[in-house]
Amino acid sequence: MAEHHTASDCKHKASSNAGGSVSGNGRHSSPAGCGGSGGGLSGGLTQPAGWQSLLSFTILFLAWLAGFSSRLFAVIRFESIIHEFDPWFNYRSTHHLSTNGFYEFLNWFDERAWYPLGRIVGGTVYPGLMVTAGLIHYILNLLHVTVHIRDVCVFLAPVFSGLTAVSTFLLTRELWNQGAGLLAACFIAIVPGYISRSVAGSFDNEGIAIFALQFTYYLWVKSVKTGSVFWTIGCCLSYFYMVSAWGGYVFIINLIPLHVFVLLLMQRFSRRLYIAYSTFYIVGLVLSMQIPFVGFQPIRTSEHMAAAGVFALLQAYAFLQYLKDRLTRQEFQTLFFLGVSLAAGVVFLTVIYLTYTGEYAKIHIPIIASVSEHQPTTWVSFFFDLHILVCTFPAGLWFCIKNINDERVFVALYAISAVYFAGVMVRLMLTLTPVVCMLSAIAFSSVFEHYLGDDMKRENPPAEDSSDEDDKRNQGNLYDKAGKVRKHVSEQDRPEEGLGPNIKSIVTMLMLMLLMMFAVHCTWVTSNAYSSPSVVLASYNHDGSRNILDDFREAYYWLRQNTDEHARVMSWWDYGYQIAGMANRTTLVDNNTWNNSHIALVGKAMSSNESAAYEIMKSLDVDYVLIIFGGVIGYSGDDINKFLWMVRIAEGEHPKDIRESDYFTPQGEFRVDKAGSPTLLNCLMYKMSYYRFGEMQLDFRTPPGFDRTRNAEIGNKDIRLKHLEEAFTSEHWLVRIYRVKKQENRQALDHKLRNIAAKQKYTSKKVLPSRFH
Amino acid sequence: MWSGGAAIFVLVSCVFCASALADGLVNEDVKRTLDLSSHLAKITAEIQLANHGAARVNSLTLALEAELAPHLAFIGASVKGEEEEDEGLELKETTLHGQSGKFFEAQLPSSLAPGAKLRVKVETVFSHVLKPFPSHITQAEQQLVVFQGNHYLYSPYPTRSQTTRVRLASKTVESYTKLGNPTKSEESIEYGPFKDVPPFSQDDMKIHYENNTPFLTISSITRTIEVSHWGNIAVEETIDLRHTGAYLKGPFSRYDYQRQSDSGISSVKSFKTILPASAQDVYYRDEIGNISTSHLQVLDDSVEVEIRPRFPLFGGWKTHYIIGYNLPSYEYLYNLGDQYALKMRLVDHIYDDQVIDQLTVKLILPEGARNIHVDTPYPISRSQDELHYTYLDTFGRPVLVATKNNLVEQHIQDVVVHYNFNKILMLQEPLLVVGAFYILFFTVIIYVRLDFSITKDPAAEVRMKVASITEQVLTLVNKRLGLYRHMDEVVNRYKQSRDTGALNSGRKTLEAEHRTLTNDITALQTRLKAEGSDLAEKVGEIQKLDRLEGQGHFPLATSLTFCFPGQLFSATRLLIGNLDSLLSSVETKGLFLLTSPDTSKHLSISSLHTLSLLILSTFSILHFSINYLPSTCQSGT
Repeated sequence: MAEHHTASDCKHKASSNAGGSVSGNGRHSSPAGCGGSGGGLSGGLTQPAGWQSLLSFTILFLAWLAGFSSRLFAVIRFESIIHEFDPWFNYRSTHHLSTNGFYEFLNWFDERAWYPLGRIVGGTVYPGLMVTAGLIHYILNLLHVTVHIRDVCVFLAPVFSGLTAVSTFLLTRELWNQGAGLLAACFIAIVPGYISRSVAGSFDNEGIAIFALQFTYYLWVKSVKTGSVFWTIGCCLSYFYMVSAWGGYVFIINLIPLHVFVLLLMQRFSRRLYIAYSTFYIVGLVLSMQIPFVGFQPIRTSEHMAAAGVFALLQAYAFLQYLKDRLTRQEFQTLFFLGVSLAAGVVFLTVIYLTYTGEYAKIHIPIIASVSEHQPTTWVSFFFDLHILVCTFPAGLWFCIKNINDERVFVALYAISAVYFAGVMVRLMLTLTPVVCMLSAIAFSSVFEHYLGDDMKRENPPAEDSSDEDDKRNQGNLYDKAGKVRKHVSEQDRPEEGLGPNIKSIVTMLMLMLLMMFAVHCTWVTSNAYSSPSVVLASYNHDGSRNILDDFREAYYWLRQNTDEHARVMSWWDYGYQIAGMANRTTLVDNNTWNNSHIALVGKAMSSNESAAYEIMKSLDVDYVLIIFGGVIGYSGDDINKFLWMVRIAEGEHPKDIRESDYFTPQGEFRVDKAGSPTLLNCLMYKMSYYRFGEMQLDFRTPPGFDRTRNAEIGNKDIRLKHLEEAFTSEHWLVRIYRVKKQENRQALDHKLRNIAAKQKYTSKKVLPSRFH
Repeated sequence: MWSGGAAIFVLVSCVFCASALADGLVNEDVKRTLDLSSHLAKITAEIQLANHGAARVNSLTLALEAELAPHLAFIGASVKGEEEEDEGLELKETTLHGQSGKFFEAQLPSSLAPGAKLRVKVETVFSHVLKPFPSHITQAEQQLVVFQGNHYLYSPYPTRSQTTRVRLASKTVESYTKLGNPTKSEESIEYGPFKDVPPFSQDDMKIHYENNTPFLTISSITRTIEVSHWGNIAVEETIDLRHTGAYLKGPFSRYDYQRQSDSGISSVKSFKTILPASAQDVYYRDEIGNISTSHLQVLDDSVEVEIRPRFPLFGGWKTHYIIGYNLPSYEYLYNLGDQYALKMRLVDHIYDDQVIDQLTVKLILPEGARNIHVDTPYPISRSQDELHYTYLDTFGRPVLVATKNNLVEQHIQDVVVHYNFNKILMLQEPLLVVGAFYILFFTVIIYVRLDFSITKDPAAEVRMKVASITEQVLTLVNKRLGLYRHMDEVVNRYKQSRDTGALNSGRKTLEAEHRTLTNDITALQTRLKAEGSDLAEKVGEIQKLDRLEGQGHFPLATSLTFCFPGQLFSATRLLIGNLDSLLSSVETKGLFLLTSPDTSKHLSISSLHTLSLLILSTFSILHFSINYLPSTCQSGT
């Protein structure tokens, strides 16, 4: 075992083994190239260390720069603005943190969310992101660099993508060699799968969490390799940062025990592993429990049990190892080992099974399914997000498995589990991306090692020491005279002589082409798919000029300026964070979908008829109702298109009042035109969306009230609202806000004219009983 | 309620004191114009004054009704000379015993002799005197406002004859007071002439008419002017805007607003702000980002921004925005040695007929400005100076803060700030940056050079020593290889030119160099041996090999047999092969050099492609940016 250790140690430390095979060529070409270019590189020979670090520094710096700048499309095209939905909450809490201080933030009770429940933000949030941004803002301001907190938030993710590239470089260097590390850094800097979550303005947990993830893995690999407590403590701190940043830390706390477990199964137990894991588990556990939102979960919930089990197993195994020195009954030992490992394995697998299948099933309610990023991943999106890397990464995995050692076991497990999770949920593509980059970099690096420097091979095949497995043997041979080596290697190299210079250059060219196409694809995807703030929409005219549809901000800002400060706004939960962030008004439900019944109540109000909805809105103290309507400009993500989810969620909680089937035609279609179901045509959402839309003729080819999103003439054109009135509609009708009318003053009835009083009585009759009950 | 009339002021010449008004001046002929066509009441009176007293008159008194006085935004008086030029009068507020209202005393440029006449023009502007009535209207309704004022000129002097002309915003008038049978034409009402009106007479005038002009009020504005001696003046205005007309009652229907031209007629869709001609980098934004609904037009003498709030402003609605721009400092900053003078507008144009309820001006001067002295065009209250810290500041920039309420267009005037500034201080910030980088690099140098490890590792030290010696050996061996190559060249040249002399001399020098190199290597070899490394043997092997090669080739070259360059080349290759073995042995012994050329070579292969990848991606990003940047530039603000 010890022997093996040194061998492997030699391998990773030096980037030598794989490098070694090529390095034979490499060394030749250097002087030759040097002579050829008139000593241009001779400096590199006299001081290789300087050149090497300069080169890697430059490449990493450029990778950082490329990663940073490719994430700026949205800022260049639009402005420095927070994107999407969740980032608005993060921005709002960061703003709170930076204005009120850290403790105030931890104790923050947000009365503007989940009316009337409120939300304890400090205890229900992963604070890492806010604290990071707040700290950067604080330090900058301390240095009198007066940057607005918004700009810190907007540019945080692009800056951290550079750190991710650096940590990916470090990790890949540990796994393979420096060249592969640099390639991996470049890949991760521009790969769309990661950019999708880290463009400028996307101020979300994932932006910093991927850095924390990669860095934790790097430190873990480092601590397994060195067995040093120093590295392990570093790993724990990084893990702590990860826990504070993202719920995805569960991935780490399962993958590392899995790594340890598999190493045990492979009989690769070592003191280094024991030190690393024991320290990591204890310190990491204690640190992770410091985050208020995590609390006691690490010792209570099933997804953390695997780590505990492996910890116990490792102790038992180490104890057995200790006994092995003392006892001689080897059969007993092996039996014992088998028994223990089997038991632990069974426990581990059940836990894993429970965690990832059982729990998903348990929480498989409409609200989870309604989130688009929780859908299973399609093959297209794999290619879209990773492009050529998705094809090359199995090759890298193969290289790793072929030359297995402790840390390559880790990366293999990482790859396999990440592929599984990415298949389950689109969102988890994010955890797959880094490992794909690393393994693809290894694959590319190996290919380049193999196919570059071909002229050397041709000129001087003797000095070649070939493929990896023969490393040791060659090393032995190299002690001998040169002549001997020549004979030996040329024998061995015969099959490779078929690879003429042409094939080599063709392969190299192909690889380069792939990389170029990859770069082009990444830029294209980033530019077209992931760089829209989604708060601001843009449309292009025939002449290429651009129209900005700023309806969201128009309406939110109207709410902010012209409604009462404590007005309560009801909307579907998607817009909760944006309303809180941009309009600064109280919302009923928001994107932190923790209370399904509350959301269902809002869904019920939206899908009931107006008077039933009015009762619900009254009980919830609603002042304004906000909906998104895309019928005028053909915006497909509007509330009518999401409406079925509202119905489903409402049905889940109120099956007696709301039935999904009522909203379909007898043929089972969801239609908004005349053929649509009467329930749909009279529900609140429909009425609010199409209020006065029936009069509107958008162009001469279509009848009035033609909905461009659903390409149908609406079925109910004569919509009258009794309890609501239009308060605001944005320029392109994208956002419509309705005011909930207050109840008439009872005392006033006596003084009014009789005929008006009679009219009023009709409404008040309904209200009256409920008052007295 | 108010009982007074329209805003009127009176000039009276008074020989010695205000109390002796009765026997002083007389308003011979007064022409008043009440301009009510906007949301302001602009009252202009042209007064023909005559001194019917016995003494010369040096000053005159202007009076305002008590009801209108609190709304006064601006008052100005000028004497109409013989020529067209008007001469402004300086006004000072005074009080008159036993009379209500507000009084101003104006010093005449030259005293008025008894019997002499003088034409004086008095301009006043009142804000918030047009009250919407009804106060709440629906989207479809027109906005009606009521003006209450005085039919007569409010004056401490008797008036012989006067006429009053009222300009309205529209033809529609609900009602108006009918004193003396006024004549109403299209958009104006003519009152008078009234004869022999006693001093301080008031008679209620009330006009209820349609006025759909934008009733925009700036409820507060903070204007920040930041002066940089590097050539830039940054101006930023934070504006709270409110529609102070009739409140919107009931729903706001976008459909009606879009389809019917007279729907929401009193609402404000957009307005124009005129910025200085040299304004650059204009931005228009609010808390939630850029406001995309604006247009910028650069004219010859100004920059016009068409500002559209995010939403149309109806009665009672408000909005808030920030507009900012940069100005070149050479147009506004003057200096003589260390003395500087900044001449800027205290408040600038925001929209026509603007009303500012509250203005705060913050003037940020460069760090180190001393002896600050401010000349304002009109009285303005100064608050405590503040300090402002921004990029690379150490002890803060002085900030002058001043506030004033109720301002109108007439207040757009220049303020002059004088201060001293030592030019050496300009170097402070660049030096700060240089110093910071110096410290950074120095720290890195120190960190890299020093050993901070707690424990000593003798093995590692030996390893490093051996590594460095090996490196030196490698360098020397490489140099020697270079010599061989050189020899090749010399031989080749000889083969072409057949010049034995050149060959011999080349050979001699090369041989000499070769010898010294070989000696050096041998010296290093002994040092390696001293370190106890078996690498010494390897070096010995190389030396042996080299001797063989040298013997093989140098004589060959000299004896003019065909020197096979390829052969020589292969020999050198062989040597390098040996070097390889040397290095591999270094690796196997655990004496791996991170610095070995092998990794650097390997690195350069991968990095070559990485670099190309990077360049490519940067290129494509640039490509896209170039495609899209023009469009962002076009949109302006």
